[in-house]
Amino acid sequence: MQVSKAFISAACMTKIGRHFKLGIKNLIHEVTACMEEKTGSRPDYLIVASALSALQTHQLDIASITTQYLGWNNIPSMRVETGETSGIAALELAQYIVRSGAASKVLVIGVEKMTEYPSNKVNADYAKILDYDTEYVRNITPPNYAALVMKEYMRKYGVTRDDVAEWPVRMHANAVSNPYAQLRFPVSKEGVRNAMVISEPITLLDAFPIGDGAAAVLVTDESARGKDAVEVVAITSASAPSLYLRDDMTELPATKAAWASLRRKLEAQRLDEVALQVHDSYSIYGILALETLGVSDRGKACSIIPSLEYLNVGGGLKARGHPIGATGLYQVAETYELMIEGFAGKQYSGEYALIHSMSGPDYNARLALLRRW
Amino acid sequence: MKGFKVLSRPEAKVGILGWGAYIPRQRLKASEIAGLWGFEHSITKALWIEEKAVAAADEDAVTMGWYAARSAIVRAGINPQDIGAVFVGTESKPYAVKPSATIIADALNVSYKKLSTDMEFACRAGSEGLRIATALVASGTIKYGLAIGSDTAQANPGDVLELTAASGAAAYVVGPAEESVARFEGMVTYITDTPDFWRRDCSHYPLHGEGFTGDPAYFHHIMTSVKMLMEELGLKPEDFDYAVFHQPNGKFPLRVGKKLGFPKEKILPGIVTPWIGNTYNASALLGLAKVLDSAKPGQRILVAPFGSGAGSDAISIIVTDRVLEVREKAPKVEELIARKKYISYAQYARSRHIIRRIV
Repeated sequence: MQVSKAFISAACMTKIGRHFKLGIKNLIHEVTACMEEKTGSRPDYLIVASALSALQTHQLDIASITTQYLGWNNIPSMRVETGETSGIAALELAQYIVRSGAASKVLVIGVEKMTEYPSNKVNADYAKILDYDTEYVRNITPPNYAALVMKEYMRKYGVTRDDVAEWPVRMHANAVSNPYAQLRFPVSKEGVRNAMVISEPITLLDAFPIGDGAAAVLVTDESARGKDAVEVVAITSASAPSLYLRDDMTELPATKAAWASLRRKLEAQRLDEVALQVHDSYSIYGILALETLGVSDRGKACSIIPSLEYLNVGGGLKARGHPIGATGLYQVAETYELMIEGFAGKQYSGEYALIHSMSGPDYNARLALLRRW
Repeated sequence: MKGFKVLSRPEAKVGILGWGAYIPRQRLKASEIAGLWGFEHSITKALWIEEKAVAAADEDAVTMGWYAARSAIVRAGINPQDIGAVFVGTESKPYAVKPSATIIADALNVSYKKLSTDMEFACRAGSEGLRIATALVASGTIKYGLAIGSDTAQANPGDVLELTAASGAAAYVVGPAEESVARFEGMVTYITDTPDFWRRDCSHYPLHGEGFTGDPAYFHHIMTSVKMLMEELGLKPEDFDYAVFHQPNGKFPLRVGKKLGFPKEKILPGIVTPWIGNTYNASALLGLAKVLDSAKPGQRILVAPFGSGAGSDAISIIVTDRVLEVREKAPKVEELIARKKYISYAQYARSRHIIRRIV
C-alpha cells in the first residue's frame, strides 16, 4: 500500500527572550501573522503544543482560545502536551492527520510563556514533567536528575568537568549567528566551570535559560505542498522507566527505542554528516543523545562535539533557548530553514536531517526524520 | 563656572543650601548572609555587595532622618523656623498611620507654620519630596524646604534582596539659588505603572519580579529620564563631571551609566552601596551627598534616583563656591561609612526585629 506523504511547507519563529510586553496570545499571533504572510492562506487544522500554558498562564484549551483570538471560526483544533517533547509530539500528530487525509494543511504552533512568574514557580511547574507523586513531592527536579546522570557519566567514563563544557561552548558559539536565539554570546570552559552552581556539578551555563517563545510549521499533504518543502519521512517515539529504576543512568532508553525503529529509514547515511538537532536541556543530555544515536562511541562524545558541523545549528536548548512546549518546533523550523535556504550562517546540502527531543531524563523521546524534497 | 543651558526653568531659581547623611554603625557582611542561606558566594561579587548597614534596635527611619536633616540644616546655616515644608520619603515608616515628618520637624524646631507629610514611592519618594520642596521654593510659597530620604529597608529572610536591603538616611535643605551650595539646572521625572517590586498592606516583606526589576524597570526608567533631561537641557554625558544613580547593588549604577555613555570614573565617586547596602530612599541621595563632600565649585552633577512601581527622576546640579564653606560643618559620608562595627546575623536578626517575641 502506498502511504501518502507529509511535508513541512513553511516555518516561522519568534526571538526567544523575556518578552514582558507579550502575553501568550501575542506570541502566538507573531507566528500566525508570519505564517499568513508566507502562505497566504489559513490552515484547515490547528494543533497547539504548550507544556505549561495551564500552569503559567491559567489557560486550558489554548488551541480553541487561539482560534477564537484569531477569528478562525470552525477550524478544528487541539492542544498537545507531552512535557518537553510537546512540540515534536504535535508534529507527530499533524503528519498522521495529513497522511490520513483528514486535513491537507495542519498548522502546528508551539508556544510557551515562561516569564509571568518568579523563577521559583517556573522551576516548580517545570519539575511537574516528572512523576508528581513519587518525584516532585520529594523535591526532585529535572536539574537534580541531570546532575546525578552527569556525575555517573563522568565517573564511569573518566570524563572531566571541562570535557562536558565542550557542549555549552559549542552551543553558545552556534547561537551567536541565530537571530532567534535567547543567548547570543560566546562562553568559555572557564566561564562554564565558574558559573553559579545549579545542582552540582551542573552550573548555570550547563542549563537552558528561561524564556518566552513561539514557533510554527505548516504540515501539508502533496496537494498543498509549497515549492519550498521538506518531507517528514517518519516520526518515532517511545517512553521509558523512571530514572531510579534504570540499570544504567548514562543511557537514554526512550531515545534508544525510538531510534531502533527509525534507523533503517536513514539507509546508509552516516549520522555525523547529517544535520542533527538533539535535546540538550542540560549539557550532559546533548552528549548522551549523541552516544545513544550512535554518532559517537559511549563515553567519547565530548571529543567529537567540535567536529560535527551540523549539530544544533541554532545553538540548541542551551543557547537558542527552551520555551518548553515550543522547543521541538524551533528545532524543526531551524532545520527546515537550514535545508531550504541555510540557517545561522550555515548552508546544508545533505539529504536528511534528524531531530531528537526528550522530556526530563528521557521519560519520553521523539525522533523526527526529515528529507530534502 | 559652567553656564546654565536654560535659565527659564523654575527650578533654576532654587538650589541646595545644605546636605546631611546618616549611616548606622552596625555592618553585616554579605558573605555571612550568603553563607547562612546557602547562596553561591559568587553572588556577592556578581551584585558587588560587600557589607550592609543595619539600624540598631533603637534606630528607625525617624531617628536616622532626624540626624541627616540636622546635618543639612547645620550646613545650610539657616534658622529651622524659616523652613516651610518638611517631606520624608520612606518605605519603612515606624507608624503606618501618623506622619514621621512631624516627629522629625518638631525635634528639629521647625516652624509649626509649614507643610509636612510622609511620601511613598518605593526608593524615589525622597527625591519626589526634593522636587516638590524645590517647586514650593520656586513658586515663592515657602522660603526653605527640607526633603529627607530615610529607610530601614526590609527583606524577606533568605531572599536575594536580603544581601542588600540596608538602613540609612540623607537630607537636603533647598532654598533660593543665590544662597545655595549647588544650583538646580533642571529636573525631570518619568513615571509608569510597572509592578517590579511591591509590599502589600500588612506584609512584613516586599516581593519582586526578579529579572523584571532590571530591564523594564530600573534600566528603562533611569535611561528614559536621563535622556529626557539631557535633551531638554541640551547636555551630553561629557558635560557632567559626576553621575549618581540609584544603587540597588553596586553593579546596576555602573551598567546603566555605561549604557548612557558615562565612564566609570564619573560614576564611582557617587557609589556607596557596596559598603553600606541599598538604603532605598537614601540610596542615590547618599551618593549625591558623597559627591558634594568632595566636588569642586563649577562642577556639574547628574543625579538619577529610581523607585519601583516605577519612576525615575533626573536632576542636573551645578556646584557653587559656597560648597567649600559648609563642607566641614557636618560628618561626611565617607566618615560615616568608615565608622562601623561588625555584627553577626543573629544580632542583625535582633536589631531588625526579625526574631518575633512577646514583650
